[in-house]
Amino acid sequence: MDRGLVHEDLLQKGVNFALHLGAVYAEARYHRHTSSSFFARNGELVGYGESIEEGIGVRVIVKGALGFSATSSLNWDSLREAVEQAVKLANVHSKFMKKPIQFSEARLGKAKYEALCVKPFDRMDLGEKISYMAEVWDKAKDSVKETKMMTLTARYSEDVEEKTIINSDGAFIVSRVPRLSVGYNFVLLHPQKGTIQRSQSFGGSGGLEQLDKWKVPEAAAEEATKLENVLVNGIEPPKGPLDVIVGSEIVGLIVHESCGHPSEADRIWGREAAQAGMSFVKPGMIGERIGGKYATVIDDPTLPGSYGFYLYDDEGVPARARYLYKEGLINEHLHNRWTASLWGTTSNAAARAMDHNSEPIIRMANTYLAPGDHSFEELLEGVKLGVYMKSYMEWNIDDIRWGQRYVGLECYLIEKGELTKPVRNPVLEVTTKSFYSSIEAAGKELRFEPGTCGKGEPSQGVPVWFGGPDVKLRNIPLGVVG
Amino acid sequence: MTCSEISGVAEKLVQAILKRGFEEASAQVYRTKSVMVKFANSEVSVVQRWDMFTVGLYMTKEGKILLSEVHPTTFEQVDRLVDRAISASAQLKPSMLYAPLPEPAEIEKLEGLVDSNVLKTMEDPGPLAESLLSETSKADRVAGALTLTYTEKGLANSRGAKLEEAYTGVEAYLRVFVGESSGQWSYGSRRLAFDKAKQMARTALELAERAEGEPKQIEPGAYDVLLSPMVVGNLVNLVGMMSSALAVLMGNSIFARVEPGSKVASENFSLFDSPRNPDLLGSTSFDDEAQETRNKAIIENGVLKTLLHNSKTAAKFGAQSTGNAGVMFPHAWTLSVNAGDASFDELIEEMKRGVVITNNWYTRLQNYVEGIFSTIARDAAFYVENGEVKYPVTRVRIADRLPKLLSNIELLGKEVYDISWWEVNPAVRAPYILARNIGISRPFV
Repeated sequence: MDRGLVHEDLLQKGVNFALHLGAVYAEARYHRHTSSSFFARNGELVGYGESIEEGIGVRVIVKGALGFSATSSLNWDSLREAVEQAVKLANVHSKFMKKPIQFSEARLGKAKYEALCVKPFDRMDLGEKISYMAEVWDKAKDSVKETKMMTLTARYSEDVEEKTIINSDGAFIVSRVPRLSVGYNFVLLHPQKGTIQRSQSFGGSGGLEQLDKWKVPEAAAEEATKLENVLVNGIEPPKGPLDVIVGSEIVGLIVHESCGHPSEADRIWGREAAQAGMSFVKPGMIGERIGGKYATVIDDPTLPGSYGFYLYDDEGVPARARYLYKEGLINEHLHNRWTASLWGTTSNAAARAMDHNSEPIIRMANTYLAPGDHSFEELLEGVKLGVYMKSYMEWNIDDIRWGQRYVGLECYLIEKGELTKPVRNPVLEVTTKSFYSSIEAAGKELRFEPGTCGKGEPSQGVPVWFGGPDVKLRNIPLGVVG
Repeated sequence: MTCSEISGVAEKLVQAILKRGFEEASAQVYRTKSVMVKFANSEVSVVQRWDMFTVGLYMTKEGKILLSEVHPTTFEQVDRLVDRAISASAQLKPSMLYAPLPEPAEIEKLEGLVDSNVLKTMEDPGPLAESLLSETSKADRVAGALTLTYTEKGLANSRGAKLEEAYTGVEAYLRVFVGESSGQWSYGSRRLAFDKAKQMARTALELAERAEGEPKQIEPGAYDVLLSPMVVGNLVNLVGMMSSALAVLMGNSIFARVEPGSKVASENFSLFDSPRNPDLLGSTSFDDEAQETRNKAIIENGVLKTLLHNSKTAAKFGAQSTGNAGVMFPHAWTLSVNAGDASFDELIEEMKRGVVITNNWYTRLQNYVEGIFSTIARDAAFYVENGEVKYPVTRVRIADRLPKLLSNIELLGKEVYDISWWEVNPAVRAPYILARNIGISRPFV
């Protein structure tokens, strides 16, 4: 960890100054992203970029109103002005407050930590990284026979996120989290059947050791081969109701959208109503049934190697696993110190900010459905006629996180317990309750996908994992893209 | 720092980059001050203020392209980044998109991009915030955001360009709740007109009031759909993105297999990029390659007129720059849709079995080349039968193909609205649009 980046004295001075100006709470966060990235089209490099984004975000509570101000200048004059502005704006707008902002009591950390990085980014030349990503095109285009790889873009991105957080309640957290993210997007073209498109991402915290695990060129080639089969030979799905095996990739997205988001207490309270929307979960619904025994959804920031990894949130609260739904019951919401105060509970460390320009708000980290005990073959067993939806492209969900739609991409018919023909564009359109109530069995293998989750105003994208096992749903009607 | 000082900084950065051995350089320097009041439950949830200084660098050597972005406080910080870029360049290959920076164009500067009313209101947004809440005082609760921005932009490049521009911006949107129903509307402009901001608030309230009552679900199927300017804004954002020549090259466009000159929409529909209209949020005099911006039709009377180009994509396509650089990704500055001649009531009267959708979000695609998409309605939505609004509806989703939606546009409203919010960026000026025979879906279970 670079001691020069901590800025402890400057931040402490900012916090003290805010208190001096009348704030009852003040925090100052130095936040830096050092990133490099490149992208290529059809194996040819398009461009390479580097960025350093750093600065200080200041948040204060004055007369029950919350003020936030940010500066990209790391000197006292700029920080002093940022503090003055945050205090002034909060002060001016305090007259609008019907329910003054208060923070719950919390045991805050004094700690320094780094995410594990076995193979740092500088262990591989840039040229080697570019060659690695060029292989994605080489292998994928060679893997298709009856179609043409119309276009394939490949992207590679490294980021190191460094933060120092100091607040007037005693938190002092210094952290460093390197993250790697790569992905591809390809379109296969068949002269009679049209096109099929796939966008896929790999991401986690840590270093280049992740590339060995992901084997991106091989993964792209395998997907291209399978999707060529779907494009050329895919049939329309039966409409059902029938058994549907939903692949872990889709399960992960479903739990992120229909459990993680509606469990965000600020959303439940209405703070995001005009942007990221609201929640079907209302205050007082802890303990209400949302599904069957397999409906256990956990959000855990502390998973080693995860894309959403952190050990302390941006308010200095120590992180832990949150059981949002537990065996079919709404169990726990995601809280920061403000919503914890509203609910009469304690924060479970969900406050995250994207960068120094962003206020910390309630976010997920790594959300997943708890695995069961079935092998994939056991999930297939007993299915007379069904569909296996392994991956997706199109999806969306309404603003209370109830009605949702996922359109399958790599999908197969299940006949008498076996995968047979490929199926094209089946549509799973369900409500949150119908999904969690229809899970009949869950696989034992837990897999994660990376994502950048958007929320807040201005919109903040933060890295998350979402995951789960394959699950079997019973008696589900399917649609098809028209 | 003044605007001319900002372009001076940009020029100095260009010289520093060239001295390090790069053959071409361009520097964009932004100083942005903004303030945002965010509302929820009819109170202020947070007031935010930013003061950002951002430098974007473009450097080339032997056809290799390098980009950097930094928030520097000293030139030494930029120097370090350029050093890293020099060292990286040795390991890069030439870009498949490389083309030399174009000769700087004569730029006719747009007047009226800075509104003193915005600057004044930035000092104390309280009265405007208060008036938005007061316009909606009949509501049970209100959420939304009011953002005011002042930006100074400087651009210099190794072809001798040295340009500067300053502009203001206002974006205001509210979601208003009456009982269980809600309405949302937005307003975005370079200039702050209090009456338009207040009208935005009243429109959101009016929609929420109209949608009062128990909403019903409708059967999936094909319907006439009347899309509000909020929805049109969201969907033409998608069309605008797809009209970028780089989106076409990357396989993210319905225009990937279509040539300019082809019919891609109903002849009633035209879509413009309108950077030279100083009222519109996003308007600007010059692009990132120091070329003059110009108003242009992307789609005119249903025909695809042009993709959006910078000099790189133009070279790749054998076209001319359209003044839409992004140094790498060409993009629309601000979009506008032609007005029609129908009043709102006339649009409703034209609907046989239809749905009015006043707001949407989560527009996602199964396939960008074929435009297979769906998007979810939120806030007020209504079922219409034989020209009469029957009842509010819930949980509806448009699920169809974008080319079909564009082709089935039949009527456009005569009033246009300046829309900008979370789901509409860049800003869009658009009317209500009626399209026929569009797929509507909802959860099966």
